[in-house]
Formats: sequence, structure tokens, C-alpha cells
Amino acid sequence: MSTDTDSVELVGDRTVEDIATAALLAALTAALAQLSFPYPLSPAPVTMQVFGVFLAGIVLGPLWGPASVVLYLTVGAIGLPVFANGGAGPGTLVGPTGGFLLSYPFAAALIGAVVHRGSSLRDPATVSKPVLAGAMVAGTLLIYAGGAAGLMIVAGYSLSDAVIAGAVVFFPAEAVKIAATVAVARSGRLPSR
Amino acid sequence: MIETRDLVHRYGDEPVVDGVSLTVDDGEFVVLAGANGSGKTTLVRHFNGLLTPDEGQIVVDGTPVAEDLVAARTSVGMVFQNPRDCFVAATVGADIAFGPENLGLDRAEIDRRVTAALSAVDMAGRGDERIDELSGGEQERVAVAGALSMDPDHLVLDEPFTGLDEPARTGLVDHLDALSGSGTSVVVVTHDLRDVRSLADRIVALADGRVAVNAPPGEADDELSSLGVRVPW
Amino acid sequence: MVTYEPGSSLAHGFDPRAKLAFQGGFAAAAFTHVSVRGLAAATLLALAVLATARLSLRRVLAAFRFPLVLLALAPVFAAIQVGPPWIDLDAAVESARLSYRVVPVLLVSAAYVRSTPVRESRAALQRLVPGKPGRVLGAGVAIVIRFFPVLVADLRRIRAAMTARLGGERPLSDRMRIVALGGVERAFDRADRLALALRARCFAWNPTLPALAFRRRDGALCLASAALALSSLI
Repeated sequence: MSTDTDSVELVGDRTVEDIATAALLAALTAALAQLSFPYPLSPAPVTMQVFGVFLAGIVLGPLWGPASVVLYLTVGAIGLPVFANGGAGPGTLVGPTGGFLLSYPFAAALIGAVVHRGSSLRDPATVSKPVLAGAMVAGTLLIYAGGAAGLMIVAGYSLSDAVIAGAVVFFPAEAVKIAATVAVARSGRLPSR
Repeated sequence: MIETRDLVHRYGDEPVVDGVSLTVDDGEFVVLAGANGSGKTTLVRHFNGLLTPDEGQIVVDGTPVAEDLVAARTSVGMVFQNPRDCFVAATVGADIAFGPENLGLDRAEIDRRVTAALSAVDMAGRGDERIDELSGGEQERVAVAGALSMDPDHLVLDEPFTGLDEPARTGLVDHLDALSGSGTSVVVVTHDLRDVRSLADRIVALADGRVAVNAPPGEADDELSSLGVRVPW
Repeated sequence: MVTYEPGSSLAHGFDPRAKLAFQGGFAAAAFTHVSVRGLAAATLLALAVLATARLSLRRVLAAFRFPLVLLALAPVFAAIQVGPPWIDLDAAVESARLSYRVVPVLLVSAAYVRSTPVRESRAALQRLVPGKPGRVLGAGVAIVIRFFPVLVADLRRIRAAMTARLGGERPLSDRMRIVALGGVERAFDRADRLALALRARCFAWNPTLPALAFRRRDGALCLASAALALSSLI
């Protein structure tokens, strides 16, 4: 063998698994964003991309969870049509809905921090329903705060208009997603890392 | 040469590999057979240090695996069962380049290795194709090329024939034959001897984590059958 | 939808790093110059950029219809007053200028997507972001690109299987739970197998970086981008 093996700095086993899982969850978020369900209380079809953000925080925790979401946003920013409605491109992140997207990593970090409360990760099935639901409600509020802020900064909405256009009309669908994610987290079928 | 010395691997308290000693010589073609759960896959994952032994050790070309993982992983190329989930890039050439890139080789050498690996599996000029659009047999060959681009002295394939149709199986057998002929030692893990018995120098069978058969092909067919290995007539 | 298409346009010929710099410089300039002259200049430049990528305006506007609706609603919302005189036209005009400045930025972004293969963008990121974060980003993006269509197919199969068993009549929350759980289980299985393959292939922090060629014209584009960015400070 001609290769100088000393110069190769292998990624540690655990980190390889973290990277692979974070990337697969990012791909899952991208795939979930393409799946829409008609929902009578919402003006736009309900997509499931925020599930990916929730699950990233719940399974991967406050470090690799946001890393997974950053991968998702990066892939969309460089042009793969992974955002809801097939959106893509660097402009999407600074467009009117950019505030929502850019809040996702922070929401994943917040959810991860509330669910795991420290550096060692817990099995999601052992976390109580109120903690899971509370973490996701907090994450959702953060996303809508960021989304409304984006509408105000980018498109010149007033605070009250931004909250109505960007948040209130979506609340019923979010409640459904949070309920479904709590059930997924407590199914005992998610890996604990 | 891959030397396995008194290897024990436990999942929990249960030994899956239970005191195996085995040598694969340079250029040898060894078939590692056995029923599901006999410990074959666990054993070969020690050959390049993917698993750490509970007891015993593996020595590749004179160096214990634990002492130089990079050397073990470049020397022992591994093709996993159902390689569909093992591709890192969306296109054939980019995936095959992944290993050599990790070794820090210069771009010209990487390109040379990718070209050579593609021709070794009869896929010259197909580097830009999307992996997801290939047939199962072609994906298996891309996985083999991905291992070959590391320039290994030994190649381990875990159940490479699963899910392949007859022409794809025959094609793969021909490629393994050619590799073996060029001096690479080949270890094929399988529960089914039909495709590879004619190529094998030796057949090793595991039962309950121990070596139950270690013989030239054709000499232990009855024992192999009784161990749940499919033997051709 | 605007996606990458191979081609030989002027925009295709630039290095992705120079094109990314231009995105930043252009956005900075477009967001700060909200006078009518500034908006007109940004629009003209954006149309020129679209032309260099041989991309039609109509197609881009269709692709961005959802964000454009949100942008168009802003002046409508701003005009409505809760008391007399009920309509405030000045506020509407002010809001329209603020929301319109985003449009040229979206056009320029579409030109980037159209003219830059994701493989090149990935290479640019891995070269621009230093150290381990750059490696995670480069490898992670490649893996997401590889597995995105695979997981879309997984979810379609799960949904079809659910519908076949009369799952279409179950409440939305149930359907979402079934699809999400099935999808995430498969994704984790795939991640486990991928991690093993990455280790077998010596996944390293210090690999050979992907090849990119930065030429004189790319330098010129970077200078133009810097000038645009600086103009936002004036």
C-alpha cells in the first residue's frame, strides 16, 4: 500500500453515526415537506416538514438536532427543491418566509434542550407527554415568532398583520402535528442515542 | 494475509463469535458459509476493525487491526449486504471517489483509481449516472468498485448475490473470478454455495459462532447441508 | 419550479463561490436601496442576471408564487385601517416599496439555482467553511442529496399502504403519526447501515477537497459583489 495511513484523521465511530443520522433526518425533513395533507381549517395544504424539525430535536438533542436542520436548509439554499411547495435557492432564506425557515435550527435546539436537559441524551420514550408537548409548543412559538419577524423585516408587515398572516391561521394544524409527534416519540420505536 | 486469532465477540452475554481462529492467505478465494445467525457477518466485520473483539485479535498483513485502522480498512475492502444504503453520493463516480478522497490522495490519482475501478466491474464511462436509476446488479457492482478504489489486497463481500437475477449473479461471479486471478484475496459470505463453489479454494462454515467445516470444496457437502447451507448438486 | 439544468450560458461558466458572493452582495444592495431609483436599478440588474442564465421571467414568477402572494399582501394589510378613513394609501405605498425590494433578490437567486449544479455548490461550501464544520456540511449535504429521493419514495409507499387499508378515513393526526413513524424508522435503519459503510471507507476529517477552478472572471464577479455590498453602506 502506497498510502500514508498516519496522515488520515478518521472521524470517530460515534461522530460518524451522528453525522449519518443527522443527514438522514435532514433528508426525511425534506421528504416530509413534499407530503401535503388537505386540512379544512388551514388556507394552505398542511405539510409535515416541521415534524423533521421536532424529531431532530427529540432524537438528536440540542447539538446534532440543529445540525440536521442546518443541513436541510443548506441543501434547499443551494437549489434542491426541498422546501414546502418545491421552493429552493439562496433567496428563499431571505424571502418573506425566510424567518420561519431560519428559526428551525433554533427551534430544534430549544426542543432538544428541553427534552434532554443536558449533554447525555435520553430515550424519547421515557420523556413524559407534558415535557414533549411543552418542548414542541415552545419550539412552535419560536418558529412563528421568527416567521412573523421575517415578515416584518423583509416585507414590511406591521406586528399585528404579521401575527395574523403568519401564525394564527396555522395554529390548528400545528396542534395536530404536535399531538402526532408526541405519539411518535413515545412509541418506543425511536432509537435512543 | 488476514489472521483471526481466538476471536470472541459477544452481544450482551451471548457469544456470537466464540473462539474462531482462521487464516485467509494472500490471493486465496474463501467462501464463508453458515446459516443465518451463525456469526459470519459479525466475524468479517472484525477484519477491518468495524467491531472490537471481546477476546482475541485480527492481524492483517502482519499488523494488528486495532493498531492501524486506516491500514486495515484500505487493505481489506468491504461490500455490505444490500449496498443500496451504503452509497454516499448520488452519482456513480462521486461515490467511488469517496474512499480515495478520505485517504487524501491527489485529484489525478483519485481520477485514475475511479476509472480503473469502473472498468474492473465493466462500468467504464458510466461515472455520471445516478445510482438510484441503476439495477440491483449494477448497484452491487458500483459497491464493489467503491471498495476496489481503495486499492485493497483483500475483498470481503457479505451476501453479494441476494436479490440479484441470474445474469447479474453470473456477471458478478465473473468479476470476482477475474479479481481473484489478479492476486486479490476474496472472502464471500453466503448461506448459498451455488454461485461460488466453483471459484472457491476453501470453504469455511460457522455454526453457533465456531468453525464447523474448513475444507476444499466438494469434500464436506453433507456436513454443509446439515448446517443449513445450500449446496449445489 | 426552477432547478439546475445543464447548459452553456454565461452564468453556468462562473465558479459557484463567485456566484454565492454575488448573491450576498446583491441582496445587501437590494435590501438597502428602497428609493424608486434604487428599486428600478435592482430590477434591471436582476433581469440582466436572469438573461445570463437564459431563464424566463415568467417561469421564475410562477415558481415563486407563494412568497410573491405574501409580498403582495403586505401593502393590502398596511392600507387597511381600523378607523376612518379606513384606507391609508401612504402606508400602502411605503409597504409596497419594502416588499417589492425582495423580488429582484428572488430573481437573482433563481438564476443561481438554474446555473449551478448542487455538486458544485457542495464543493464550494466544503472549501469555504473551514475545519470540521466544513467537512460535516460537505459530507452531510452529499448524503441528503443522495437520500432525499429515496425517502420520498419511502413516504409514498407508507402512505399508499395506509390508504389501501382504509387509512384515508382516519383522523389527520393518526395519518400523520403513521407516516412520520414509518418514515423515521426507515430513515434510522438506513442511517445505521450508511454509518457502517462510511467507517469502512475511512471517513476522514481531512479528505482531498473537491476540484473547483477559480478564474479571472470569477475574481471580477467577486469584486462586483463587494462593490454592491459596499454600496449598501452609503
